[in-house]
Parts: sequence; structure tokens; C-alpha cells
Amino acid sequence: MKRNVFGFVMAMALAMPVGAYQDLKMPVNLDKLAERASESVDVTLDASMLQLASGFLSKDDPDEAQVKKLVSKLKGVYVRSFEFDKEGQYSMSDVEAIRSQLRGPGWSRIVGVKSIRGENSEVYLKKDGGQIGGLVVLDAEPKELTIVHIDGAINPEELSELGGHMGIPRMDKTKTGKKDKDNAKGDQ
Amino acid sequence: MNEFEEQLKQALSRREPPSDFAERVLAIARNQSRPAAAARLRLWFHRTRAWRLVPVLAALLMMTGGTVYEQHRRAARGEAVKEQLLVAMHIAGSSLHRAQHRIFDVETGEVTQ
Repeated sequence: MKRNVFGFVMAMALAMPVGAYQDLKMPVNLDKLAERASESVDVTLDASMLQLASGFLSKDDPDEAQVKKLVSKLKGVYVRSFEFDKEGQYSMSDVEAIRSQLRGPGWSRIVGVKSIRGENSEVYLKKDGGQIGGLVVLDAEPKELTIVHIDGAINPEELSELGGHMGIPRMDKTKTGKKDKDNAKGDQ
Repeated sequence: MNEFEEQLKQALSRREPPSDFAERVLAIARNQSRPAAAARLRLWFHRTRAWRLVPVLAALLMMTGGTVYEQHRRAARGEAVKEQLLVAMHIAGSSLHRAQHRIFDVETGEVTQ
């Protein structure tokens, strides 16, 4: 009996970290970027924090109601965003540590946009048993770097529904591509 | 007898007290023999052994205070976390919006997928 209890406790102890930790780690070197940034945002919200925050989101406020709906299925929200006074304060090697994790199994890049102006966007999705289990957005501009990791069942469509709320412009889906001579070349 | 002696005689002459004098004196005496409110409370406190409830009341007060403080702390933390979440969602939505915008903006060949 004692052995069974011990075995159960050990199994629980070993199993806990798997579910308790985010599977994608924000690189440590990003913290150093904050020192060089004129503005930085560091948000780390795990499932318990999201649950706590969700309880304080109002159903009557349209913005908050939208977020409340979105957050109910999430396990974590992690954001690192940096704004710099001048260009060249970060290099793509700074985000390589996170990119390399996104090359791992389960992740697939659904969007990759690169321009010679240095405005790059990448969107990665994690498949979790046929469903979307997470989303990562890497948004790099010459003086701005943003990494967003949303852990849990989320659809990019749902996130884009935030457009028109919370000061995010609404995306006009009928907009046609504007030819911009400055933009050039795909990335890979 | 001079004038001073006359005045002294008048001042020391016998006068009858007012008719309610005895009543007033007795009433004052009665009031003084009654214990003051604080003393009565003290007496009641000891007679009923209510002092035994003091630790219980103190514990209840502390528990109530603790609960109220905890609720206040939780509310403050919840509001702070909510603000963080709204900022995170704003950044996430904006980043995705920019990505979509870039897809629309660049030529088809520039979009890699």
C-alpha cells in the first residue's frame, strides 16, 4: 500500500511540470533588450492568472467581454515587446532562440512576411491533436520587436476579431494588396 | 453697638431652611450611593464572566479584518492582472493586425508560407 502511495506521489510529481510550465520558453537574452529599449512590455500570465483576470473582466464592456470569451480557453499569455529610440538595437539572432523552438514538432509557420524595410511578421501555430494549441506572433520592425505567445486553444481569426476593440484597428478583409516597390523578396 | 457689630448680628441670625431642603439633600445622597455607569458595566462584566468572550471577540475581529484585507488585496491584484491581460491582448491583436496588413500590402511573391 505504502509503495502504491509513493508511486502515485512520484508519478504526480513527475507529471506536474509537464502541464504546469509553458512548453515554449522566452529566451533569457530578451531581458537584456529591455535595458536598451526606450519602452518595454513584459507580460507573463499563466492559467491561474488568466482565471483571476477573467473574473475581473466585465461582460458589459464590449472590449472586455471579447477578451473574456477569448481567454476562457487559454492556458497562458506571454508577451515581450520592445521599442527602441534608434535602429539596430537588436538583431534577429536575439529572436533566433525562440525561432529554433518553433521549428520543433507541432509548430508550423502559417505566415511569414519580410520586407527590405526590415518589417517582418511571422505567425506560428501549434497543432494539438488536430486542434490549434497555441499561437506565436513575431513582429519585428527596425525600432520595435514584439513576441507574443498565446498558449491554448485559439484561432487567429478569434484574435483578429479584437480588431475594432481596444484601440486595434479593424481589419478590412476586402482590402486589396497595394504594390509597394520598397517591399521585396520573400524570406526563405 | 457699632455698625459692624450690627451687621455681624444680622449675618449670624438664625434662618429657616427652604421647605424642600431635606428632599434635595436626600436626593443627592441617593444619587451618590448609585455606582457610575462605567462601574456598573465593570460589575456586570465580572458577574456574567463576559471577560471570557474577549479573546473570542478579538479572534473574530482579526478574522474579519483579515478576510476584508485579503478580499481587498485579491481585488487589487485581479485588477492589475486584468490590466496586464488587456495590454497583452492589445499587443497580440495589433501584432496580428500588422501581419495581416503586411500580407495585404506586399506582393504575392513576398509572402512566404
